[in-house]
Amino acid sequence: MITYVSVGLLALLSLSIPVGIVLFLLGFGIDFFFSSFPLIRGLGQMVWSSSNSATLIAIPFFVLLGEILVRSGVATRTYAALDRWVSWLPGGLVHANIATATMFSATSGSSVATAATVATVAMPQAEKLGYDPKLFSGAIAAGGTLGIMIPPSINLIVYGFLTQTSIPQLFLAGLVPGLGLAFAFIVAVAIICTVRPELGGERRVFSFSEMMNALVHLLPIILLFAMIIGSIYNGWATPTEAAAVGVAGAFLIAGFFGGVSFQMISDSLYGTVKITSMIMLVVIGASFLNFTLASAGLGQELEAFLSNLGLSPFGTILVIVMIYIVLGFFIETLSLMVVTIPIIVPLVVEQGYDPIWFGILMIVLIEMALITPPVGLNLYVVQGARKSGNMSEVMLGTIPFVLVMLAMVAALIAFPQIALFLPEALK
Amino acid sequence: EDLAVVGSWSGLPLHKQYEAPFWGTTLPEASGGSINVELTTHNQMGLGLGDIYNLLGQGVFDVGMTVADYAVADAPELEGLDVPLLALTADEARAMVDAARPMVNDIYRDRFNSHVLAIAPYPPQVVFCNAEIAGLDDLQGLKVRASGRMTAKLLEALGAEGVNVSFSEVPGALQKGVVDCAVTGAGSGYSAGWWEVSTHLMPLPLGGWDPVVTAINMDKWNSLSKETQSLIETSIKSDFEDPAWASAQNALVDDIACLTGNGECPAGDARSMTLVEASDADFAKARNILETEVLPEWAERAGQDWADRWNASVGKVVGVSIN
Amino acid sequence: MKLLETLRTVNRGVALLVGVMLLACAAFVLLDIVLRQLGSSFGGTDEISGYVMAIATSWGMAYTMLELGHVRIDLLRSRRQALGRSLFDLLSMLVLSGTIVLIAIRCWPVLERSLKNSSTANTPLETPLALVQGPWFAGWLWFAIMACLTTLAALRLILKGQFAQSEAAIGAFAEQDTVQ
Ligand code: NA
Ligand code: NA
Repeated sequence: MITYVSVGLLALLSLSIPVGIVLFLLGFGIDFFFSSFPLIRGLGQMVWSSSNSATLIAIPFFVLLGEILVRSGVATRTYAALDRWVSWLPGGLVHANIATATMFSATSGSSVATAATVATVAMPQAEKLGYDPKLFSGAIAAGGTLGIMIPPSINLIVYGFLTQTSIPQLFLAGLVPGLGLAFAFIVAVAIICTVRPELGGERRVFSFSEMMNALVHLLPIILLFAMIIGSIYNGWATPTEAAAVGVAGAFLIAGFFGGVSFQMISDSLYGTVKITSMIMLVVIGASFLNFTLASAGLGQELEAFLSNLGLSPFGTILVIVMIYIVLGFFIETLSLMVVTIPIIVPLVVEQGYDPIWFGILMIVLIEMALITPPVGLNLYVVQGARKSGNMSEVMLGTIPFVLVMLAMVAALIAFPQIALFLPEALK
Repeated sequence: EDLAVVGSWSGLPLHKQYEAPFWGTTLPEASGGSINVELTTHNQMGLGLGDIYNLLGQGVFDVGMTVADYAVADAPELEGLDVPLLALTADEARAMVDAARPMVNDIYRDRFNSHVLAIAPYPPQVVFCNAEIAGLDDLQGLKVRASGRMTAKLLEALGAEGVNVSFSEVPGALQKGVVDCAVTGAGSGYSAGWWEVSTHLMPLPLGGWDPVVTAINMDKWNSLSKETQSLIETSIKSDFEDPAWASAQNALVDDIACLTGNGECPAGDARSMTLVEASDADFAKARNILETEVLPEWAERAGQDWADRWNASVGKVVGVSIN
Repeated sequence: MKLLETLRTVNRGVALLVGVMLLACAAFVLLDIVLRQLGSSFGGTDEISGYVMAIATSWGMAYTMLELGHVRIDLLRSRRQALGRSLFDLLSMLVLSGTIVLIAIRCWPVLERSLKNSSTANTPLETPLALVQGPWFAGWLWFAIMACLTTLAALRLILKGQFAQSEAAIGAFAEQDTVQ
């Protein structure tokens, strides 16, 4: 069944059929070849329940937040300010991409929304300054994934909901690994561009006063972060509702620093609807595919596989990491979480691991899944923001960042305190 | 005979202790290998709780089980199966469910094209509060997280304010005062650590008993031989339904002991929540509100025919009549 | 082509309405948060957000399709000449149209059932489900019709050999992205 899905996926995707539609087709195929039950009768019900979701509405809210920041000029000024602070490093503007993605991650709960925001601001610069598109766009796709690690995070909300662990605790746990990843990305880019300077761009050194003057342009994003996170930790809003707080905050900031016009609002709405529908076609297709896979017994196969191995706790974690890496190539991330969490997390907890720690480990793996081909939403979003060029360039550009994420996985397994220190200290 | 079975929450005791063993081993063995079961759960399939009986009726799978409350969207008359506050012990709850069984059978036949095989209980849904309360009356003016429509209506009638918070967000919400109280099963509240963020426990089944209905697609049922039908019916009663009910009362006593420290806790460390007993006067008042406001409202939603049937069956057992 | 232009214009209007609906939903959630601080609440914002999401999703799909927003992987496609690319695009549109038509057909029983049972949500709001599933279903039906019309229009362009126009209508990238 896994073979069928993998081969079918590659074949249909290479025919350049839209990704969401391919997922539906594979679901139809599983229904036809692997299941004795008329699963297609459940199609309408699955389409309804996978989109009738109060959690998912955070996606358009976060996308809208990003659109407002872009169209009011706030995002561009943030990018320019961070450019002054980090572009002296080997690799130049690539670092600004990562730094901007990190900052926006603190206001956005969605990796796709984060990547879309940064790509929109950064791509024109790449073309203007003649950057090599691979590393440049790879950094945006990978930096964007931080959106679900640095709080707020839709995926951590889903994890908390499915495993009944505290969402604010999960948010705290994601902070250090998220910033750690961002730092490691920057170090990796600096090393790569020292060895192969042609992959990055010109290093740009700004004077101390230029750097200081730029700081004021970071204020809007810091304010927005304080509003969103503050509303959650003060108990005013649930983590999902905080996305609406973010939209309001973005409007206030745009009004104050940039300017709100009818044109800007309607453009933001067009962009939001376009990106949301793109994501949702994939999400709905994936949830139908999941439904067919689960009905055809994928869950049992996985469970039997894991329990038959009879592994030590450490061995179990290694196998689970492998499973997520492989499934992450093919399965859309939210669906991947929804399907595997009920099977995997009880097993992990039974072995004595902390569910909050495992949630963070899983998020790193999910981040990886977002930038590994063939199904990686962040790759699509970054490619979508480019005017030309091939998807394979973005894919190649993310390879160093995937390696950094693997290192983070190893670090989290070796030192669980990276994730657990903060929630335990503030308990 | 192949049966595709979709169980209730894979993480909860009802599935682990009763559903999984029954469908996984007991029934296939009792059939001498002629019944072959493929078992999964709704959460492993990524199904919404409200979808299960709809998909069952369309024959997407053969057997489905979930909390009846989740199906009331398509069948308001089903709310009569799980009326809060009427049954205080497992025995009373069982008597209520048994009395309701013929109605439930008809509802599942007409609404979901399926045949009811068994009705088993989740633990009763009790009240956790992070506020000084001495009885039911003190809920007035408090913000309470409820699950299920009739419970929410009852809370509103008691003067409390219903707030929507998902299960995992409850501890934070209790701590921050987004809600003052929350209703869930005593066992779930214990294992999810609600005792960390709440002080008072009122073990009244304000949320009812959340009966879980197991049903089989009607076409599939009719296609089975008489022998297979009776094998399934007798073994599901003796090996699933009866044991699940038998343990329900003890589970409640244990869970309360675990949460309050009054008695032995088999699940782990006992906690020290304050046990709140509703006074008789309090209780009588709540029952009165239930009978004069909440149930008549339900009768309007479901239709007078169902109210009459309910009066003649469940109502007789618990001594309540909807006018 | 006139038909394609009309479809685009109409769906831009639809997209704006969808966007305004999302904006209104955000405002509604926000108002509820504020009201809660003042000790009251609408109740049911969760439920309503879910309905808004389902309806916004189904009605936004056609706009995204016409703006070439649904992601495709064009590793093989981009290496072909104009004719080859057009055939890839046409195949993609045929498959998409077929799938969406099937989805729309299969969404009908969900609405039909709610109509038949007069289903209401399992919540204190008791929202009649047909009231929200009706617009949701109509959105998928709309998407199905738009997909079929676009495919026909593109087919005509390709038969006439107007590959550049067909690529503009159903290609892999939008000429000018809505996101600048
Ligand atoms: Na974030
Ligand atoms: Na992937």
